[in-house]
Amino acid sequence: MDIIAAQLVNGVSYGMLLFVITCGLSLVFGILGVLNLAHGSLYMIGAYVAYTLTTQRFENFWLALIIAPLIVAVLSLIIELILLRPTYHLGHLSQVLLTFGLAYVIHDVTSIIWGSDVLSIPLPPFLSETLHFFHQEFPAYRLFVIVAGVVLASCLWFVQEKTRWGAIIRAGLSDKEMISALGVNIKLVFTVVFLVGGYLAGLGGVIASPILGLYPSMEFQTLILALVVLVVGGLGSIAGTFVASLVVGIVETFGRFLVPELSLFLVFALMAVILISKPNGLLGKKVMKH
Amino acid sequence: MKRKFYCLVLAVLFTVLSACGNSAIQSTTKKEEGSSKKDGTIKIGALLPKSGVYASLGKNLERGMALYFESIGWKVAGKDIKLIVEDTEADPQVGLRKARKLIDQDQVDLLTGTVSTAVAYAIRDEVDKRKMPFLVSHAGGNDLTRSKRSDYIWRSSFSSWQIGYSLGQWAYDHIGKTVYIAAADYAFGREVSAAFKEAYTAAGGKVIGEVYPPLGTNDYSSYLTTIKNADADAVYAFFAGSDAVKFVQQYEQFGLKKEKKLIGSGWLVSEDVRKQQGNAGVGTIASIFWDYHLDTKENKAFIDAFERKYNARPTIEALEGYDAARIIAEALEAVGGDASNPDKVVEAISNVQFVSPRGPIQFDKETHHIIQNMYIIETNLVNGQAENKVIEVIEKVKDPGQ
Amino acid sequence: MNKQLFMGVVAIILLIAVPFFFSLFYLNLLAEILILAIFALSLNVLVGYTGLVSLGHAAFFGIGAYASALLAKEWSPQFLLTLLASILAAAAAAAIIGLFCVKANGFYFLMLTLAFSQMIYSFVHQSTTITGGSNGLSGLPSPMLGPVDLSNPVFLYYSILFMFVIVYIVLGLIVKSPFGHVLIGIRENEMRMKAMGYNTALYKYIAFMIAGAIGGISGALYSSLNGFVSPNDVYWTMSGSVLIMVLIGGAGTMIGPVLGAAFIVVLETIVSSYTTVWTMIIGIIFILFVVFMPQGLVGFARMFQKLAIHRLLVSQKGAKSLVNNEANQ
Repeated sequence: MDIIAAQLVNGVSYGMLLFVITCGLSLVFGILGVLNLAHGSLYMIGAYVAYTLTTQRFENFWLALIIAPLIVAVLSLIIELILLRPTYHLGHLSQVLLTFGLAYVIHDVTSIIWGSDVLSIPLPPFLSETLHFFHQEFPAYRLFVIVAGVVLASCLWFVQEKTRWGAIIRAGLSDKEMISALGVNIKLVFTVVFLVGGYLAGLGGVIASPILGLYPSMEFQTLILALVVLVVGGLGSIAGTFVASLVVGIVETFGRFLVPELSLFLVFALMAVILISKPNGLLGKKVMKH
Repeated sequence: MKRKFYCLVLAVLFTVLSACGNSAIQSTTKKEEGSSKKDGTIKIGALLPKSGVYASLGKNLERGMALYFESIGWKVAGKDIKLIVEDTEADPQVGLRKARKLIDQDQVDLLTGTVSTAVAYAIRDEVDKRKMPFLVSHAGGNDLTRSKRSDYIWRSSFSSWQIGYSLGQWAYDHIGKTVYIAAADYAFGREVSAAFKEAYTAAGGKVIGEVYPPLGTNDYSSYLTTIKNADADAVYAFFAGSDAVKFVQQYEQFGLKKEKKLIGSGWLVSEDVRKQQGNAGVGTIASIFWDYHLDTKENKAFIDAFERKYNARPTIEALEGYDAARIIAEALEAVGGDASNPDKVVEAISNVQFVSPRGPIQFDKETHHIIQNMYIIETNLVNGQAENKVIEVIEKVKDPGQ
Repeated sequence: MNKQLFMGVVAIILLIAVPFFFSLFYLNLLAEILILAIFALSLNVLVGYTGLVSLGHAAFFGIGAYASALLAKEWSPQFLLTLLASILAAAAAAAIIGLFCVKANGFYFLMLTLAFSQMIYSFVHQSTTITGGSNGLSGLPSPMLGPVDLSNPVFLYYSILFMFVIVYIVLGLIVKSPFGHVLIGIRENEMRMKAMGYNTALYKYIAFMIAGAIGGISGALYSSLNGFVSPNDVYWTMSGSVLIMVLIGGAGTMIGPVLGAAFIVVLETIVSSYTTVWTMIIGIIFILFVVFMPQGLVGFARMFQKLAIHRLLVSQKGAKSLVNNEANQ
């Protein structure tokens, strides 16, 4: 019984990890309709910047947690202004391809700056403790991830439901032309959303990479993970992403525990099953084609 | 009028090109004569990953090679040495394409490298058919010197078998009678752990469970919880690179370190990952054919030279490159710098033996594989850093060849 | 029409002449290009003509390659036999996967095809005993065409060239046929096609199977050319690569994917010998194409043609007016 409870905790913590990584992608796709294939790259930049900050400049994890996502946000702003804003008229597919090309470019730029060695981010001692419950042991950092995920989800939900910006976003999801007709500067909304998406990607990078590690091609592995979660949860819904993260996290963890030979296979099988039975994902709303 | 002019131009062009002597029809129909490398340069082709997940291994192999060639002034038997490195991206298809480029376009005299066993297997037939001496300087797949053996393929690095087998008896004698195996699920991980299992059970030990997380698993928590609740004295693990960092870190985080000894292959605690693991790797026991902390004068000289040139510690791959370069140089010296006869070159390689930073090495003439010492190392805390120490030497380990 | 036929014949003659003038290295490179061109052409049926962007096409390539490799290793290396086995295996896989995928659209189709191809990848990567696992299957016996040993690279090249020409002609006929026109109609506006009474799901399914089967052919040729097969051939990067080839070459045309395959292979081979940042270079080129040349290389060629003709006309006009002026002096 203890083992099951322990695996449940593992699953939830892995699920929250997935949520932290994916929420930025979900937001951008839901609002802009652009699947940002450079999302993994932004995540990676956040992780590498945090690495530099924690090992070479400030030696302080918390400071890195604050600064790194901001740097990624600024980078996303530049990307949106230079690459995406002038090309909205080309259509969604073209912009997806643009982000794909961008991911390739960022891949080499980061390997020039940070090299190709395997790196890892040192944690503050308070988070490196080991906690005991269910007769098992857990690193404190895993619980920090759970807390971070829940806090993040709550903030996003609050903004979405209770603030004016959130209302605009919800409206924009349903009908872009309408809110534009109502006098909202749609271009500004897009830029802000992409910036926030970048910030979240960078934040994900700082929070997740102490567990997932930093190594070449990490951005593509992370992107695939995020895509799976995104698809399972459905588009245009933070709640969907949250639920999907938990589902994928728990299914993967128990899968590894019960049928370890099928580990790699399982997550994609899950994705296929969800797509076949519920094409819009678990909680997705049909996104209007523009 | 214009059309006639064009036809004439095309005809002249074709005639000129066909006279260029290197067409495919010509090279596949006439016999392979001695290569027309009249200029005094010996060209060595290196197939290494310069991009992708294995890029850092490729970089270190190249560094090791460059270090040695520099120490002999990039000259052997009066001729200049030229090293041409091509990026395989650890992709067998690209590897084959680049191998063909090196053999057909660059007309190299010798081939060396690869990091990935899949690439080595992919080019094996080409190398054998074209009689190109190939000194394997990393890829450890067992079959390369067993079922896929070739007259022209000689390996100076290691075999998965050597790595895994050497810890088996020692683990039974000094660690415990029961072991749980965890290895990354790819050919390398499977081969090494299978060899360990073979030796360990032959010594009398019992493997009470095995699990093979997919390569690149980021979260071992689930596997570790299962292992924790299993009744084993120790855990034998095979992981490398970022997997090794994550596994060893999580091994400690989930409380397994104080209950079950962690043992495995040297890549679990190698130079490129130990620092990233912090102190999580302390207490690990591993088997490997070279370690930074090997206390011999050859190793000290090598480390000295490497650190002075690159301002970084040499890794296992750096040593492999260094030795491979020396073997190539000594073999070329033995044939007087004349690389035109591949059979003579290969024979010269087979005769090479010297004391390398990893100890005395020589080739097994039957399997074409290296005979070397294996070391059991232990990771300890020294001045707040995790460092390895050699605690046992197993001499002259030969690969069985089948 | 006639001009196209003439160009086609000239191209074939040039390709046949290649082994007489170029070295083995270029010959093998060209053989690779032809195989990837077949692969790109098969994906083009889905992406260019039916409008279904798939990110899992490597599945059929890989299935064809592994089927051919396993048959050659375990039973008989007869070229035609292994080719047939791959077509059947790939078509069967396409039939099964297609059942699930054609119901999805757009983004979901993309992800579903990715999911299936990754499932096949993980199966291949982990089954070390059957498929050689991460080491792949190497040392395959060289293909035989009856009593003729195709290990001679020139003979192999001609076999591949022959298959390429056949696939090109067959696909060309398919897309020009009424069936092909329905596919184009589905790409333009599926609703309208449905309203006109076409069973679009069935058409999409058939297109999927054709694409899969031909993808399998290219996989079989690949394993025959190289003598090995590895899980890399089923990985999503392979699907991404061929998608880039189709898009850069020009989706929805016949010559486009061929040009795209040639362009990408040559670029990769040459650029990666000079620099380690070739990924970035490909990324930049890709971005430039998407923004400035969405019609791909084919569009670029057409634009160039138009420009050349325009210049010609202008210069003729200029010449005419000059002559008139002279005459009026």
